[in-house]
Amino acid sequence: ARKMAEIAGDETPPLPSSSGAEESSLLSSPPSPTAISGDEPPPRTRKPGTKRLVLTASVLLSFLVGLPLLLKSTEIHRSPLPSDAIADLSRRLQSHPPSFPCGLHAVFLRSGPGSPVASLADQLERAISTQHHLLPASSTAGNISVSVTIQSGGGCTSSTAAASPWRCGLLTAADSVRDDEVFDELLHSALGGRDGDGMKVYTIVIAEDDDGKGTRVVIGKHRHAWVVGKVDEAEALSLIGNVFIKYFMNGGIEEGETGIGKGEFMPVGSDGNVVLSFSLLNADPNDWVYDWEFKNIGERILTPVVEALRPVADINIESQVLYHTPKSSYSYSDDKLGGNVLSMGDIPFFVNSNEWHLDTSISATGRSKVLQFVVYIPSARECPLYLQLPDGELSKTNAFISPMWGGVVIWNPPGCSVGSKKAHGTRRQMSSQELMETLEIFIGQLRQLFGLKPNYHAQGMDVATKFLVSEKGFAQWELDLLYRHHACSNLLSCVATLESLSSLVQSLPRMIVMDEIGRQVELSLEAASLAQRNATLGIGDSSAVSATRARALAEDAFFHPSIMSISYASVEHYFAIYME
Amino acid sequence: MMMPPSTARRLCFLSLLLLLLLLAAAASATADAAAAEEFTEELLLRPLPDRKALAHFHFRSSAPPASAAGRHHHLFPKAISQLVQKFHISELELSFTQGRWNYEQWGGYDPMSTNNAKPPGVELWAIFDLPLAEIDATWKNLTHTLSGLFCASINFLESSTAFSAPRWGFKLNEGNLRYGALPREAVCTENLTPWLKLLPCRDKAGIASLLYRPSVYKGYYHSQKLKLKSSQSLGIILDQTLTVVLQPNTVSGKQLHSTGGQLQPSWSMEHLFSKKLSGKCLVSKSSRVFVEIEKGIVDNVDKAGSDVSSNNDLFVLSTAPDRSLKELDNLEVQSSSLYEYDVNNYNSDKPLNVGITWKLPLIWSCTRAPYHASRFLMGSGNERGSIAMSFLSTGLDKQLVDSSNDCSIKAVVFQVVPWYVKVYYHSLEVFIDGNSKAISEVVDKIHVTPSEDKLLPGTMEMLLKFPCSMQLATLTLDFDKGFLHIDEYPPDANQGFDIPSALVSFPEFNSSRSYPEADPLFVSPLLENFKEDGVVKSYTEVLLVPLTTPDFSMPYNVITFTCTVLALYFGSLLNALRRRIGEEERGLKKAALVRELQFALLQSQSQMLRWSTIYFFCWI
Repeated sequence: ARKMAEIAGDETPPLPSSSGAEESSLLSSPPSPTAISGDEPPPRTRKPGTKRLVLTASVLLSFLVGLPLLLKSTEIHRSPLPSDAIADLSRRLQSHPPSFPCGLHAVFLRSGPGSPVASLADQLERAISTQHHLLPASSTAGNISVSVTIQSGGGCTSSTAAASPWRCGLLTAADSVRDDEVFDELLHSALGGRDGDGMKVYTIVIAEDDDGKGTRVVIGKHRHAWVVGKVDEAEALSLIGNVFIKYFMNGGIEEGETGIGKGEFMPVGSDGNVVLSFSLLNADPNDWVYDWEFKNIGERILTPVVEALRPVADINIESQVLYHTPKSSYSYSDDKLGGNVLSMGDIPFFVNSNEWHLDTSISATGRSKVLQFVVYIPSARECPLYLQLPDGELSKTNAFISPMWGGVVIWNPPGCSVGSKKAHGTRRQMSSQELMETLEIFIGQLRQLFGLKPNYHAQGMDVATKFLVSEKGFAQWELDLLYRHHACSNLLSCVATLESLSSLVQSLPRMIVMDEIGRQVELSLEAASLAQRNATLGIGDSSAVSATRARALAEDAFFHPSIMSISYASVEHYFAIYME
Repeated sequence: MMMPPSTARRLCFLSLLLLLLLLAAAASATADAAAAEEFTEELLLRPLPDRKALAHFHFRSSAPPASAAGRHHHLFPKAISQLVQKFHISELELSFTQGRWNYEQWGGYDPMSTNNAKPPGVELWAIFDLPLAEIDATWKNLTHTLSGLFCASINFLESSTAFSAPRWGFKLNEGNLRYGALPREAVCTENLTPWLKLLPCRDKAGIASLLYRPSVYKGYYHSQKLKLKSSQSLGIILDQTLTVVLQPNTVSGKQLHSTGGQLQPSWSMEHLFSKKLSGKCLVSKSSRVFVEIEKGIVDNVDKAGSDVSSNNDLFVLSTAPDRSLKELDNLEVQSSSLYEYDVNNYNSDKPLNVGITWKLPLIWSCTRAPYHASRFLMGSGNERGSIAMSFLSTGLDKQLVDSSNDCSIKAVVFQVVPWYVKVYYHSLEVFIDGNSKAISEVVDKIHVTPSEDKLLPGTMEMLLKFPCSMQLATLTLDFDKGFLHIDEYPPDANQGFDIPSALVSFPEFNSSRSYPEADPLFVSPLLENFKEDGVVKSYTEVLLVPLTTPDFSMPYNVITFTCTVLALYFGSLLNALRRRIGEEERGLKKAALVRELQFALLQSQSQMLRWSTIYFFCWI
């Protein structure tokens, strides 16, 4: 500090006073003849002296020499990101959104004798093909190849299109009077008996049967449906088109309804993991305490569902029992309905986040998703508790879902009625029958959370329609639909993430980009193109798997911990730091 | 001749088979019985000699070994089970403590002080069931998980400067134990709430409902602990304990001896917790309250010639107990009396409010550890100092051991010192009753891990052997104070840095208790813990070391200093290059107007320089 003071002290006074000395030295150094002429010196005629030029140049030079050194010392590592490839992928996805080609195979089972005419099959095929302009634009289906087989007493005739898997003569129209479940399996075996890799072919069988019961449509657990009854050709064609487009392609979601492919998010973590956490909530254990045998029954029922959804998400199942967990909304007693009623408007306040310590799971690390499924057992005071729909009706399932969060089922213990006595803390077990029923509701809720319909009503179909329920919770054609949509939405989100990462890196020239990020981006791009290739081959499940992987890698790259380092600063800030 | 042995052998074989079958059946039966998750809750109350009262809550949740562990649970907390599964923990103890256990007044030679007296702040240790190479990484992940689970800064134990791996000084292990302590962690309700969340009834019902926060946190000592043990054969056993020392709030209460009886206040549960106990947690297997009357009082009652019942000459318990137990210490001498209350028999209409009323003023003292250990700092200044540890005999050894010449008492010292306190272990000096002794005479075994700057803390494990006749032993160690980087200082660095408590244990003294009269069917996890082998331990004080703190405005000073130098340099350089003062002088002579202008310019320039100087001095 003292040194500084000296400098400052020396510097401050000389300025005005030393000008004379300065002048003399300056004047003496360049020998200027004009200086001698006294009071009126003529303006300077010569160029400034070389000394001054050298001084200026040396200062400039030292700067120029120092600059590369400075830049070298402040260099940062940036792994090159394949931004061209990202842009290319994004362009490709925009111009050709992934579309899955699939096949439609119509089988006409005729009871009459004689061999069918070959030209009829081709004619029907053309007729069906013309209907596909009905397909809504949002569908993920690509090219549809149509084939027709006609079977009658004398044999089968197929249209010219590819070899059909139909095993001729294994099944006749008469079989359709059997039990639907049985017929479904028969049909499955008649069609080759496997769910097949490669392009998915949906089969619709028209079984002509004149039993006078009228026409009905049954949609099976696999990729087929059948129509039983006396239908003429035009009616059959319209039914085929209807069933195929409405259910097999769109999952029964109408225009304007929310559901799969209608901007709904999939409740799957960005790393492809989902934890299903089941909780049994005893609102007031002073009244009664219920326990459940979830480990055996729950696992048994849910394992097929978990297996079926594996291409979409890796699902873990957990369960727990909690006590002293009152709800946080009010219900009112309704004598007419014989219980306490919770109206629709109170549902948003039902979940009591203060007292329901549902907890996230340790196994749900990072960016995976937890879906909570809650069984709420009301206390004696509020039992039985019903959910009232806006139209005044009571909810059939007594359950509701909250998108992206999970679902709640209100379970009234058996024998609870208004004014029922407290059981004083007796511990009981939820019977396996009741647990299974509850789990079925949960599977319905899971379907809904994944964007499918919890159950189907034959809306919009002018004939009776029946849906066979798979023990997997999801029919094969529904799973196809899920895989397709999952692959598409994951691909789009992967590309969006990669694009924002690329533009972020480009907009911040001072950002450090680790090699690992570059590698993750490359792997993500690879997985994305694999998903696209599988999509063009019509392999929905492998496409979904690759798309999930692509998205997970893209998110890993975007949320890499090193991205949060401090070198985010602008250029001005950077200069300020290094000026120190 | 041949037949009898053969038949005998066959018979023997058959009976063996039968026995095996029976055993298998019994095993499967016990497996069935043990296959359920269980929860028990217990509370122990004890009057303390210094007018205070001790309350010790003990909750045990156990989960049987099962394939579904961590996924399907009924009573056991899912989070803990998943923690054990994920980090392969075989033992873990985490304690949050506020205040210091008073070993002189509250006991130093009983299971309570041995197991439940903990150092202030957070202490965490864990034994992992993992290959040694993976343990450090697992420990780091574990600290982060616990930090999230308990809403505390346990994640500060992640850094390798914060934890150590003692081999025998803390607990004998095979190198798979990690120990860390945060002496400055403040403990409050935000740590209690997640701890309560692990109980099936939380604080909504049962014994935990007594935990009225204002009275609990008003206490003198408060230690909340979570201890878990896990093994393939036993499953997971989670013990949650909360030990509080409270001042009974009896100001408005009726005093039996209003003048002379001020020695001991009579109190009840309501005075301690502002609440009565109205029933148990419904899912608990057993729910009990114990009142423990210490040996000091029992001896007094015996002296008074009365029977140690719940109503005797000295005191009366407000509620008649369901059972009373005699407690024997490890030398089979009666140490204290326990009175048990089964909370099952009480409900909201008939709440339990156990209390003690003194009939006579009474003075008694608790049993103490053989030595009172304390630790303090010596020296002054910011450069160096020394740590001293003193062991003051409490006279216990006189009663226990015959004072022959070669008799000695062992003590194990374990202490961890952060790297910035650079201890010179060679400077260890030992003084016994004021006389300097050779190290080899006193130190039996020593294991030191020296600290490494910004990498490792210094760990010292030491087995000492004191002669029985010794009154006072002092150990000193010199240290230098290190310098930290400016970023490494915590907020309020001038307060000083805490060195975690050292642990002193006396391996020859065991605080385990036994209950010979207890019914074999009477299972109490709290008393089971008391029965366990417990080496007498005591924690020393936390040390506060002031370190040199830098002037935290220094970086700004440097910036302004450099900027001023640069400004002066460039200013004068530009001045020299741009201006031609000689010509200007001549110009001034020519035109007065120009001169005036020039003057103004110079003025402003000098003004500028003056300002920059002033600015600079301001910063200095």
